[in-house]
Order: sequence, then structure tokens, then C-alpha cells
Amino acid sequence: MDETVAEYIRRTVLKIPRDQIKTMLQKWGFLSETQLQTLNFHQIKENISQDVVQLCEENSADIKQAAVLDIIYNHIYPNKRVWSVYQMNKTGEETEFFDLTDFKKKFKRRLRSALKNVTINFREYEDNAIWIRIAWGTPYTKPNQYKTSYVVYHSQTPYVFISASVLKSNLPLLCQALVVASSYHDIREMELRSHSLNSLKDIVFKRYSQNFQTYYPRPLQERNVAPESTDLRIIQENRNEKERIQRVNREVFGDGPQPKLEFAQYKLETMFKSDPKMDVLDKKEPFRCLVKFSSPHLLESLKSLAPAGMADAPLSPLLTCIPQKARNYFKIREKKGFLPGSFVSP
Amino acid sequence: KENADPQRTAFLLRKQWTLYSVTPLYRFSNARLRDYARLLSAFIAAEKQKGLAVEVGVELDIKVVVSSLPDLKGSDQDQAAILVQLSSRSPASPKNSEEKLIWSGWFCCVSGDDLSENVPEDFTCLPLFLANGAESYTSIVGSWFQKTFDCCFRRLAISPLNLSWMAAMWTGCKVDKTASVELVFSVPCLPQPLDISYAIHPEDAKALWDTVQKTPGEITQEEVDVFMDCLYSHFHRHFKIYLSATKLVKVSTAIASAHCDGIIKFLQSQYLTGVLMLLTELAISQIQ
Repeated sequence: MDETVAEYIRRTVLKIPRDQIKTMLQKWGFLSETQLQTLNFHQIKENISQDVVQLCEENSADIKQAAVLDIIYNHIYPNKRVWSVYQMNKTGEETEFFDLTDFKKKFKRRLRSALKNVTINFREYEDNAIWIRIAWGTPYTKPNQYKTSYVVYHSQTPYVFISASVLKSNLPLLCQALVVASSYHDIREMELRSHSLNSLKDIVFKRYSQNFQTYYPRPLQERNVAPESTDLRIIQENRNEKERIQRVNREVFGDGPQPKLEFAQYKLETMFKSDPKMDVLDKKEPFRCLVKFSSPHLLESLKSLAPAGMADAPLSPLLTCIPQKARNYFKIREKKGFLPGSFVSP
Repeated sequence: KENADPQRTAFLLRKQWTLYSVTPLYRFSNARLRDYARLLSAFIAAEKQKGLAVEVGVELDIKVVVSSLPDLKGSDQDQAAILVQLSSRSPASPKNSEEKLIWSGWFCCVSGDDLSENVPEDFTCLPLFLANGAESYTSIVGSWFQKTFDCCFRRLAISPLNLSWMAAMWTGCKVDKTASVELVFSVPCLPQPLDISYAIHPEDAKALWDTVQKTPGEITQEEVDVFMDCLYSHFHRHFKIYLSATKLVKVSTAIASAHCDGIIKFLQSQYLTGVLMLLTELAISQIQ
């Protein structure tokens, strides 16, 4: 077995949490059940990985099999990478029948015609997701298995999720191969990025509970009301306002859990407006700012601002439109015309 | 005020310094710096023997240098700044091999007349202390100074109010380099914490400040408030969020960056003394 393959397998196993190693090796299916029985999963990971390499040696593992283990790892722990979303476009309406074999063949052919030194692996999952792992080399060097890009393509949709990793220069080539293989016309990057692959899917596939418009006042809901204090001297101030905020928040954010994003960025090129009495800046040019919001769970965090008294309800549409617009990078310019204080984002 | 020679103070730039206030030192003498270095060195060695080892693993030979930085002062009454540097050399390597600087700390006083005018003769006023390097070394050096000169070190936090002052003051400075005026706000008490970075193009921020500041050479609290309110209301107009209800934790400009935990980074030697003057003032208020 190639030394680089052995080292790669060893390092991949080391990444896996100890209590998950056995399951993942079973999913991999490269080592027989008998071989797995011989492994002691209670020793330190260093030793477990050495033992696994030993067994792989017996089975003469090559890079293709090692790559499959890597795909399995990334499929279970996708949140270790940052994913960007791309949308492909077709001219014409027909939905062609998707032929997986044809897709794989065309993809490999297109990629290899431009760059001979690549390792390409595919793996299909039940939810119609095709995972593609690409290890990049150069015209003169073998593929570097540690410099990989991942593509997740749901063939029934025009969306592709790409975790390009370090080699951004290979991105155009990758995009080209996808378009050719899937018989689309072109591909564009959406302004949507996150560690949480599932949340990105939720957003573009509209799988989260969306907000809805109400045209009539809804009766105040009785749930989530704190138990009434038995002491009549204690009353809740601003009860109506608190309930209004909760209601408006629900309308704007929807009832269900929010998709998980870590950041949103706004490049502001709007005018600075102030009270004329203040006698401050009155320039005719934009007041240029860059605003970044970050949080372990951004949308939940924003949702909690108004109830905490730190924001108005409803919150600005610039923030609440994130799931519907399927983007978390924005460029905001002043809308020309009648309505002061309204914004466009191209 | 003459500015410090940029060559001599270049090593202070672009490093992260943790801030402390220090009460006046009793019977400290500028003439005994070499002695102090020797005594501190012995103290460090003794602490390591005691098992209060600072570095796990390799045994290091620590060399101490204590020197004076006469350029770093504001007025003539100010004491010259005192610099303490710890370098290490692995005992395994040859005698002449390079020493690595592992920790620096310096005491200074820039326009600290408020304090120095009011202390008895035997006391030296160096209310501001800045440290860069492992916390464990800061602790040992601090202990030695506290024992030897009967002084007291305290971490110097920077309040949002003072951070706003820095934002306003530094925005008004003219600099060659372009770097945004960045304000970082934190909202930790939500179910999911939120951080907001609000960076304004330096030209636009300065244009705003220039219309707010009415008296040249003088800044009032009211002007700082108006400046910040303008920024807050521009933000609210877009996002409907009240930044004034959040905590301002960091301010970053081309001049310097400051964090509320009492951490500073100097980025321009031209304004070094100016920033030190402000920090000296903060240190003195903490002491008094």
C-alpha cells in the first residue's frame, strides 16, 4: 500500500471522535466485520488509527477507497467546512431525465481534460444528494489529498453546494464541469455562505417555516404566558406591548426553528441623514459602512432582540429577508425617488 | 509636546499590550536599573525553583534587562518610561546563540501631573503599565515590583464611555494609512449571543466628526455623544436595532485599537504619546 495512502487513512481516522470510529468504518465497508472485531476501540486514538492502517495494508487499500472514507466523514460532519451556494440556470423549460452515470462520466471527462492530476469520487445518498470529492493536483504534481473541494448536488434542483477549501483558482473549472455534466446553461454564486450545510439546504429548498402575512388582527394567543403571580401587587408592565412584540416577531420570523447561519454582512452605500437641527454632516455622497453580524445561531439571535428591548418590532426587512432572499451578503444602496428611508439591494 | 523618536519606539507598535494601573512606587531610583534587573532575575529563578514554573517543558535561562525610555513622556515633570524585557536562551544552545524576547512590560507616565503633583517625595509616579507576553511572567514581574516598591497593580478596564472618546478622538486624526473606523458591539445576554461589527470608511467618519467638533483643539463630552448618536441612528435607520442598548467592546482605527478588557494596540508612532496620555489619565482615575 502506498505510504501516502496509509498516512491519509491514519489522519482521517484520527479526526473521527473515538466513539464513532467503529460505525464509520462499518459504513465504509472496506474492512470486513471479522477485521473490525480485531480492533480495540478502547485504546487511544493514535493506536486505533495505526491498527486500522495495518488492516488496510492487508487489504491493499488504494487512494480511491481512502477517499470514500473521507467523503463519509465529511457527510457526517459537514459543519467543519464553509459552504457556498450556487444556482444553475437552464434556457428552456423541459426537465430532462437525470442520468447519474452520464453525469459522472461528463463531469470526470470535463475536469480531466483540463487537469489530468485530480482524484474524483462520487457517493450518492437517499435524499437525492450526490456528493463529489475532488482532490486537486497541478499539471506537474499528483493530487494533494489534503487540498480537497466538496460538491453536494441535488439533481432534482438547480442548486449546488460547494466547499471549495483552499484552492479557489480551481473554482471556475469546477463550475464549468458541473454545468456541462448536468446540461445546464450557466452557474452563478449566490450570496449565501454558512458552516451549516443543512441550514443552507433549508433556506434554498424553503424547508423552514416561513413567515406569513396577516391581513386581520389575530386574537392574542394564550400560550407562553408566564404564570400569574399570586401577589396582586406585582403586575406586568407594558403587557400589551410585550405581546405585540411576540406576535409581530412570530409573523416576521415564522413559528418554527430558524435555519442556522453564523453571519450576515451588509455593505452600506446609503446617505447619512440626520435631524437638520443637529447641524451635522450633510453630504451628497454615500456614508460608506460595512456591518457584520455574527452569532452561533444568527437568526435566533436576531429574533430575540426585540423581546429583549434592544430593537424595534418588526425588525428591519434587511435582516428578516435573509431566508427568503437566500442570501447573507448584501450591498445596500439608497433607493432613488419618493420614498426616503427605503433601500434596494441589488 | 515633542513626539518620541519613531525609530526608538517602533518596537512598541503592532503588539497587543495588556493594561494595568500602578500606584506610585516607593524609593524607586532611575540610577539602579541594573541592580533591579539582577534582583528580578534572581527572583524569577527562585520562583521557578519553587515549582512555580512558567513554561512547561524546556528549562529556559531567563535574562532580564531593565532600561529607561526617556522619550516616552509628556511633560517635564513626567518620569521617563521604564522598560523591562525578559529574554530566553535554551541552556542546550551555545553561549552566543540568539536570545529570544519572550516578555516585555513597561511603566510610563504621560502628562500625569495630576498624580505626580500630589505625592510625597520618595514616590515615583508611573501609573500606567503595559505588558506583552505570557500572563505567568506578568504575574511574577508584577509580584516582584509590588514587593520591592510597595505598589499595587490592577487590571485597567476601559469603559464604553472611554471607548467612545477614543473613537471620536482617533477618527479626527489625520493619517496617511487608510483603515476603517471599526466599532465592535457585543450582546452576550441573549439566548444566542450576538456580535456586531460596524466599520465606517475613515474619510466619511472623519467628515462626520469634523462637522460635529466645534472648537479646534478641544473635545467635549457633548460632541462625543453627538458623534456616537449619529452613528447609532444611522445604524438604527437600517436595522431597527438600538446599538446604545448593546455593549461597545472594541474600537479600532488607523491610530490604535482598544478593547474593553484593557488591551491596546498602537499602530502609529506619530500618535503614540497622545494615546498614552489618554491611557495615563484612565490609570490615574483608577488609582485615585
